[in-house]
Amino acid sequence: MKLPALTLNQKLAAAALTLGALALFSVPHRGPVVTLDARELALIVEKEVDHVTPSELAGWIVQGRSDYRLIDLRAEPDYAAYHIPTAENVTVAALPEFPLLRTEKIVLYSDGGIHAAQAWMLMQAQGYRAVYTVLGGLEGWKDEVLYPALPAQASAVERARFERAVALSRFFGGEPRAEGGAAATAPMELPRLVAPPPSGAASPVAPRKKKKEGC
Amino acid sequence: MAPFYKYGFFGDEMSLVVAFVLGTGFGFFLERAGFGSARKLAAQFYLYDMSVFKVMFTAIVTALLGVTYLAWIGWLDLSQVYLVPTHLVPQIVGGLVLGVGFVVGGYCPGTSVASLATGRVDGLVYAFGIGAGTLVYAEVYPAIKDFVNSNDMGQVTLPEVLRLPWGLVVFAVVVIAVAGFSAATLVERRCGDKA
Repeated sequence: MKLPALTLNQKLAAAALTLGALALFSVPHRGPVVTLDARELALIVEKEVDHVTPSELAGWIVQGRSDYRLIDLRAEPDYAAYHIPTAENVTVAALPEFPLLRTEKIVLYSDGGIHAAQAWMLMQAQGYRAVYTVLGGLEGWKDEVLYPALPAQASAVERARFERAVALSRFFGGEPRAEGGAAATAPMELPRLVAPPPSGAASPVAPRKKKKEGC
Repeated sequence: MAPFYKYGFFGDEMSLVVAFVLGTGFGFFLERAGFGSARKLAAQFYLYDMSVFKVMFTAIVTALLGVTYLAWIGWLDLSQVYLVPTHLVPQIVGGLVLGVGFVVGGYCPGTSVASLATGRVDGLVYAFGIGAGTLVYAEVYPAIKDFVNSNDMGQVTLPEVLRLPWGLVVFAVVVIAVAGFSAATLVERRCGDKA
């Protein structure tokens, strides 16, 4: 028995129906399962190109740069008590839902650095291309920016560096520790959150303009 | 991995170039389908030429299957595809307004640009209409803002609203489309005789 010849439209309809039926078994959403390029990640980690030092970050904030998103991964009360100026508060669990573009420069920090590093890994796996962590986390920020210490018997270079650190420290409401480390024993109080306005910039945490999409 | 823009394959400037190329292609195929002519479009409403229905539903089925399969093989991240947020009642009202404009003017916004590109005067008049309408809307907007933004359902898809598996909705839409094509051809034959 010979099948009746099909018109082009009928053939296309048959193809669409077949593909549609096959699509019944499709799993189009990736869900939370991600893949990692182990070699690429290992290289990034080894070359340490995924870090931003606290001083670098402080410099960006002073300059009023807005080409990065600073993410504070700590709990909300900690964030409310103190956070690095310009930071937005997002917990690790909430990170996948938070509106960040994969093309944005994202800087993560937590108390020490472990949470930030773990979140960094998660974001790399999800295709975020420019994710960095603050070296040492908030602790690093305190040691390097807020309360910089001048080592005993400091060299001239170290002294010059300390001078710059003092200026930064005062800008962010911190207190440089003088020689001998006498002040180091005193409990370090975090500066109050009267966010120091960076020179020039109107407001460091100005709401970002949402990119217009669609038609 | 797509969407290319969201994954940083190109930036803002390049996205404008891409939009231009895609838009030109869209216009070209609208013209090829005959939609640069108001007669062809108006015929849809008199039911003796169902081309609009067929072309649009073909585009929907093609895109639907394409998106599904690309996402299935992992080339497209569906969670990153932008969807226009749904405001159900305001969009139904807006759709009706657009529909009236379509019947009266003989074009929809896209096809009017295609007809303008081929030098049709009615396309030019329609383009002025779009400009005037946009201006009026912008002026009236403060008064109707609450209504326009009411019923916000966010970026939703049919599978989410109907709580059905993605694949089932895909299959259902394809079946509806194929059934619709057959029905449309029957309607054309009937109404075509009378015309």
